[in-house]
Amino acid sequence: MELYELSAKETADGIRSKKFSAIEVTEACLARADKFEGNVNAIITLTADAALASAREIDARIARGESVGPLAGVPYFAKDNFCTKGTRTTCSSKILENWLPTYNASAINYMNDAGAVMMGKTNLDEFAMGSSTENSIIGPTKNPRDLGRVPGGSSGGSAASVAAGYAPIALGTDTGGSVRQPACFCGVQGMKPSYGQVSRYGILAYASSLDQVSPLARTVEDLAISMEVLARPDPHDTTCDAYDRPRFTEAIELPDLKGKKIGVFEGFESSQMDAELYGALQKTAGHCRDAGAVVEPMDLPIAVKYGVATYYVTALADASSKLACYDGMRYGSHLDGQTLNEMYVNTRTACFGEEVRRRIILGTCLLTEGFYQNYYGPALKVRQRMVDEFDELFGRFDAYILPTSPSLPYRIGMKETDPNRLYLGDIFTVPISLAGLPGINLSMGLNADGLPLSVQLVGQRYFDAELLGIASVLERVMGKPRVATPGVVEKTQKGEEAK
Amino acid sequence: MARQIVIGLEVHLQLLTKTKLFCSCSAEYIGHTPNSNVCPICLAVPGTLPLLNDGAVALASRLGLGLHCTIQNYSTFGRKNYFYADLAKAYQITQYELPVATKGYLDIELGGASKRVRIHHLHLEEDAGKLVHPTADGRLTGAAYSLVDYNRGGVPLSEVVSEPDMSSPAEAKEYVMRLRQLARYLDVSDGEMESGSLRVDANISLTNADGTLGTRVEIKNMNSLKALERALEYEISRQNKVLDSGGRIVQETRLWDDAEGVTRSMRNKETASDYRYYPEMDLAPIVISDSEIEGYRQSMPELPQEKRLRFAQSFGLSGEEIAILTEQKALADYYEATVSAGAPTARAANWIRMEVLRVLNELGQDISEFRVKPDALAGLVKKIEQGDISSTIGKDLLDLMAREDLTLDEAVKRLGAPQGRLSGDALRELASRIVSSQPDVAETIKNGLDKKGGKIKFLQGLVMKEARGQADPNEVAGCLSELLGS
Repeated sequence: MELYELSAKETADGIRSKKFSAIEVTEACLARADKFEGNVNAIITLTADAALASAREIDARIARGESVGPLAGVPYFAKDNFCTKGTRTTCSSKILENWLPTYNASAINYMNDAGAVMMGKTNLDEFAMGSSTENSIIGPTKNPRDLGRVPGGSSGGSAASVAAGYAPIALGTDTGGSVRQPACFCGVQGMKPSYGQVSRYGILAYASSLDQVSPLARTVEDLAISMEVLARPDPHDTTCDAYDRPRFTEAIELPDLKGKKIGVFEGFESSQMDAELYGALQKTAGHCRDAGAVVEPMDLPIAVKYGVATYYVTALADASSKLACYDGMRYGSHLDGQTLNEMYVNTRTACFGEEVRRRIILGTCLLTEGFYQNYYGPALKVRQRMVDEFDELFGRFDAYILPTSPSLPYRIGMKETDPNRLYLGDIFTVPISLAGLPGINLSMGLNADGLPLSVQLVGQRYFDAELLGIASVLERVMGKPRVATPGVVEKTQKGEEAK
Repeated sequence: MARQIVIGLEVHLQLLTKTKLFCSCSAEYIGHTPNSNVCPICLAVPGTLPLLNDGAVALASRLGLGLHCTIQNYSTFGRKNYFYADLAKAYQITQYELPVATKGYLDIELGGASKRVRIHHLHLEEDAGKLVHPTADGRLTGAAYSLVDYNRGGVPLSEVVSEPDMSSPAEAKEYVMRLRQLARYLDVSDGEMESGSLRVDANISLTNADGTLGTRVEIKNMNSLKALERALEYEISRQNKVLDSGGRIVQETRLWDDAEGVTRSMRNKETASDYRYYPEMDLAPIVISDSEIEGYRQSMPELPQEKRLRFAQSFGLSGEEIAILTEQKALADYYEATVSAGAPTARAANWIRMEVLRVLNELGQDISEFRVKPDALAGLVKKIEQGDISSTIGKDLLDLMAREDLTLDEAVKRLGAPQGRLSGDALRELASRIVSSQPDVAETIKNGLDKKGGKIKFLQGLVMKEARGQADPNEVAGCLSELLGS
């Protein structure tokens, strides 16, 4: 096995026990990125020198016999909407093309303190607005499992990095599915924690009440280790829960699903979604039953009917306000004008991309008098109804399984022209975000065309550890995703297809 | 029938916290190097999140209790969205739907009559930065560029919104004075209109012929109580003229121009609906428990109105005296301490009102800086009360004590006044000498021609002057009538 194929746990254990060094791992991952990045285009800024320096530091500390953190020497990438001190943070936008933050996001500090080695910043849809990582200043990221297809988004660069073996872990942000859906498209594990589990400090916000820092990895265990590092109280974020979190790595030792009740989502017409993904859902239900769980069908009528509309009203309104600070006056790109207003208009028109402008304009309209009463106000109420709908179901179930995406990864450029269809791709992820629930994209291997299949596991709010436990039981049956070789579509042999 | 005047006020008070509302930067901005008290949070650097200053919540709660409001257990913040160079985030974090305190009142007094002004609510919000225009008059017009100072950005304000219960400019002024007094009593704000730590926006309308409310106009930019009164008076006459000539009042915001003495329409002013208010999701709601509210209540000092009542009952002072003595809490405390040190209540009140305030004014001092402490003033007042010294000498002594930081005894020595008072034989001797030095006057009195008593008063004055006030005026009068047989 090559060093870049190891999980974060295997990597950290190997480095700590001096089977190999942090510098060797970092070099292997950098070589991997060097080899494929020309095709994949997942990275906006590679910080190779800093990564090698951090790796050397970890090796030196181990040589001196000092104790090191749980992710010592483990390479990781962060989506380019995490503030990184001294390393440019673009949000894939011309408006922040050359912006150098003066501070680290809390999540970055936590990862670095745990010994993880920061490799660079990954591609995303501009300001995390999109589901395909095509709206970017550096151009689209390609899916490492099929370079003709999108990696999903908005954390497409992070998902592609993990799938292609650039690093065992990457950080993304999930607002309405921005980590779960690219994890699904790239065939890796990705977890959106409950809202409030991880600090949002230093995240270039899109929607304050929805954004969550979310890890991507190739094993559930790595997700659990990442959660143990990331999920903690932060005095810089009052929306981050102030209590101590449970031990996520202990939760994944769950032996089976005996005594668990799992709901299988059936509230949609199978014609609305890809047949193979529908099949994957049924197969997962069977795995749950085999592992001892009681499995019953369930439905989410309010979430399915109103979820996408509610999500976009909420998120766009928030985005119009949160992105107003990019006026070109204190940081970021600036275009001149004869008046203050002209400067604002010139800067924001030229430096925001089309999708961002569309969402800002829609969000602005949604908050104006009249529209607020007809859209934003009702959306807040429907959001509460959705929370109630989930709460009522959690009286009956420990977790649900539902699809992450209604479709397999689509071809680059295919859906870009129809934003409405693109938005509907979020139908299974946004209700979870609106209700603040934890959700995990669990990979189930590849179909006959080498495209990833997966399922979404959803848990009760704040029961992130329990959800990881269930995911880990299922992962033992379904297998861990392998590193993709970009440019080579893996044709699965009969009998080896998705479990 | 004359149209009724309807005035409601929105008063912004800068809260006396050490740090800003959502970050740990110093809240001081006057006299500081521009952009020296700033940080990533108050500059709206991407990724930063606001952190609520609990001290500001406590001050707003105290002010709310002082205004007899209900303090809300649960209140929230919202965003008021607009683009301007002094607003780093392009939205102001303010309380909109659920403010921290609601429904209270403030009693004002005018011409001996009391009136209750209802308070709609009180909320917390952050201040904006400050624009500096490099023109001779400091105005935007004609400026080639403008500079922004964010030191003030994020400084905590409490906005007190009244109901439209005031019906004259004088009432509005009185309301602001009483609110300012309350804020100072509670150490919530220093309430200086000139420096901008107290800002007043006024809503004013005139009733229609049928008594219904007319269209209201908001006026801003009044930098003193006088300006507030003048602006309201101007606006009343302007609105009356418009209505008299059959015109209609436009709902708008007008700026007061103090130099010209007029209000001017602020064009392009956004209307309220364009602020796109909506909930702030980056901050957890403010939760204040009943026990916290009770704690604030327990720590409340005596309020100005309560103090006025007590002064009337305990000290038997007049309304005017009470108003002056209780205007500042420190002065009221000074008075009480003087009385406690043995000074008679009426004379102490009179001396503080007339003399202490005069000396403070001359020295440009605040009562807290006054060198004559209450017990020293009590000593002086007692001597005057007992007739040991005259009021005139007393004033000179007070001046000396205040200016040169002397004790009463030291001041007496410095003034050269005799130690102890003149009386008995010594006084008779002095009176006799004075009478001999004024033979014509003495003759007039002896002949019974001093009908109005002016001549004898004249002699009394000379004796007192010679005695440097250290004699009992009654005894002086007795000596003189003995000598002159009057």
